[in-house]
Amino acid sequence: MQTSVKIKIRDLYFYYRTRTILENISIDIHENTITSITGPSGQGKSSFLTVLNRLCHNMDGARVHGQVSIDFGNGFENIFKKEYPLPELRKRVGMVFQTPNPLPMSIYKNVAFPLKLAGYKSQDGIRKKVKKSLEHAFLWDEVKNRLTDDARLLSGGQQQRLCLARSLVLEPQVLLLDEPTSSLDETSVQVIEELLALLKNRCTIIMVSHYVDQVKRIADQQFVLRNRKLNKV
Amino acid sequence: MSQNLPDRCLSVFSWACALLLTTGVCIIIGFLILNGWRSLNWDLIFADTRPWDAILLKRQVFGGLFPAMAGTFMLIILSVGIALPLGLCAGIYLAEYASSSARLVFGFMVDLLAGIPSIVVGLFGFSITIFLHHFYNSRIYPCLLVSAFSLAFLVLPYIIKTTQNALERIPLLTRLTAPGLGATKLQNIVLVLLPLALSDIVSGVVLAIGRCAEDTAVIMLTGVVAAAGVPKSIFASFEALPFFIYYTASEYTDPSELAKGYGAALILLLICSLLFIFAHLLKALIDRRAGIMA
Repeated sequence: MQTSVKIKIRDLYFYYRTRTILENISIDIHENTITSITGPSGQGKSSFLTVLNRLCHNMDGARVHGQVSIDFGNGFENIFKKEYPLPELRKRVGMVFQTPNPLPMSIYKNVAFPLKLAGYKSQDGIRKKVKKSLEHAFLWDEVKNRLTDDARLLSGGQQQRLCLARSLVLEPQVLLLDEPTSSLDETSVQVIEELLALLKNRCTIIMVSHYVDQVKRIADQQFVLRNRKLNKV
Repeated sequence: MSQNLPDRCLSVFSWACALLLTTGVCIIIGFLILNGWRSLNWDLIFADTRPWDAILLKRQVFGGLFPAMAGTFMLIILSVGIALPLGLCAGIYLAEYASSSARLVFGFMVDLLAGIPSIVVGLFGFSITIFLHHFYNSRIYPCLLVSAFSLAFLVLPYIIKTTQNALERIPLLTRLTAPGLGATKLQNIVLVLLPLALSDIVSGVVLAIGRCAEDTAVIMLTGVVAAAGVPKSIFASFEALPFFIYYTASEYTDPSELAKGYGAALILLLICSLLFIFAHLLKALIDRRAGIMA
C-alpha cells in the first residue's frame, strides 16, 4: 500500500551547542503509516523528533538547518519558516515524551489542558472531547470514576496513556512518540501497541524505539540513526 | 569506632557550631523577654486611649506603640506591594526571556543591588526627595511613600533572585510539556511555570517582608519621625517600630522608658514571627494545592 507523502525532510542538520547531532538527512514519511527510528542511545533520536514540531526551538543551544515540509491538507508548508505559528504547528504535530509528564493537575484537567490553551470555551464540548480521547487511549474505564484525582497518582503505564490521550485531544495529524513503551510492563506495552495500530488510520506516527521486536511488529517503515545519519532499513 | 579522627573532629565541630548558633538565638530572645515582658501590656500599645478608638482612628494615641505598629505595617504593605510586581516581572524576564549575555549583565546588576548597604539606599531616597523638592514641587518632603520606594529598592533583589531561581529549577521536561501541546510562551509561564514556582517565590517574599519590618537605616533618612501618629496619607511622615527601638535605646532617661523599648522589640519580633508563620502556612497550602491546580 503506497499512500501519499506527508512529511518531506531535505538536507536537515541539527546542532546542539558546538556538536553536530544530525547531518544531511533527506527522507519522506508517508501518510497513515508508522515510521520507526532505532539506533544506539545518545545519537539524537529524540532530537530528531523535536525538530518535527520545532520543540527544539524551546531549548537553549539547539540550531537547525535545512527544510522540513508537512502537508496538513493545503499542500506542503515549510515549518521552519520564521513566521510559522508554533502553537498551530504543535496542535497538528502532537508529541509524547519518553518519561510520562503529566502536569500537576487532575486527570481531567490534564487532558482538557490543550483545549484550554487553544481557547475552547464550551465546557460541554470539552467534556466530550476529553472522554473521547481517554477512550481512544484505552484509559477511560480505569479513570472515569476518579477524573478529579491528581494525575501524578496514576501508575506509569496509565500516565503514559494519559499523555497520549492529552496529545490526541486536539486530533493531531502527525504524532511523535519518544520510546512510548520504554518504562512500561508487558501488558501496558501490548495495550499501547494495539492503540498505535488503530491510531495509524487517523494520523501519521513517527516513533523512536529501542525494541527491535516491537518495531518489526508495528512499523511500516524503519530507519536507523547512526553516526548522525538516518538510514532506511 | 569505625570513624577516623578527622571525621570525628568534623562532626564535633559541626555540633558545636549548631549548638552555638541555637544558644545565641535563645540568649537574644530570652534577654528580650526577660527585659521586656513586664512592660508588655495594652498600655504599652495604646497608652490611655481605648483600643477600639485607636484602631478605628477615632482618637490619636499618645505615648503608646500603636502608631509605630501601624506605620511599620503600612510600610511593609506598601514596599512589598511596589517591589513584588517589579521583582516578579524582572525574575520572569531573567529566567525565561533574557539571552544568556543579557542574563549575565542583569544578573550582575541585581547582585550589585543586593550588595548596596541600606544606609546608602536611604541616602539615595533622601537625595531624590531633596532634588524633587527643589526642582519639581516644594511640597515634596520625606514621607511614607518615599520610604516605601526606597525599601522596595532594597528588597527587590531578593524577590528577583528567588523568582528567577524558582523558575530555572523547573526541569526541562516539565518546561517543554505545555509548548508541546500548543501553548504560547506566555501561556506556559502563566499556567504552568509560575504556579509550580509559587511556593519558592513565597520564601523570597517572606525575606523581603522581614527586611522591610526591621530596616532602620533607610527609613531614618526618608520619612520616619519620633512622634507622627498614625500616618494620615502616604505623603505624611510616620512612626515605625525599629526606629522607636533605636531612639529609645539612644535617648532613654529612666528604666521604665528602656523597658518600653524592650517591649517594642518583643512586639517587632512577634510581628515578624507571625508573618513567618503565615508565609509558611501559605507555602504549605500552595504545595498541597499544587496537586490540583485551578
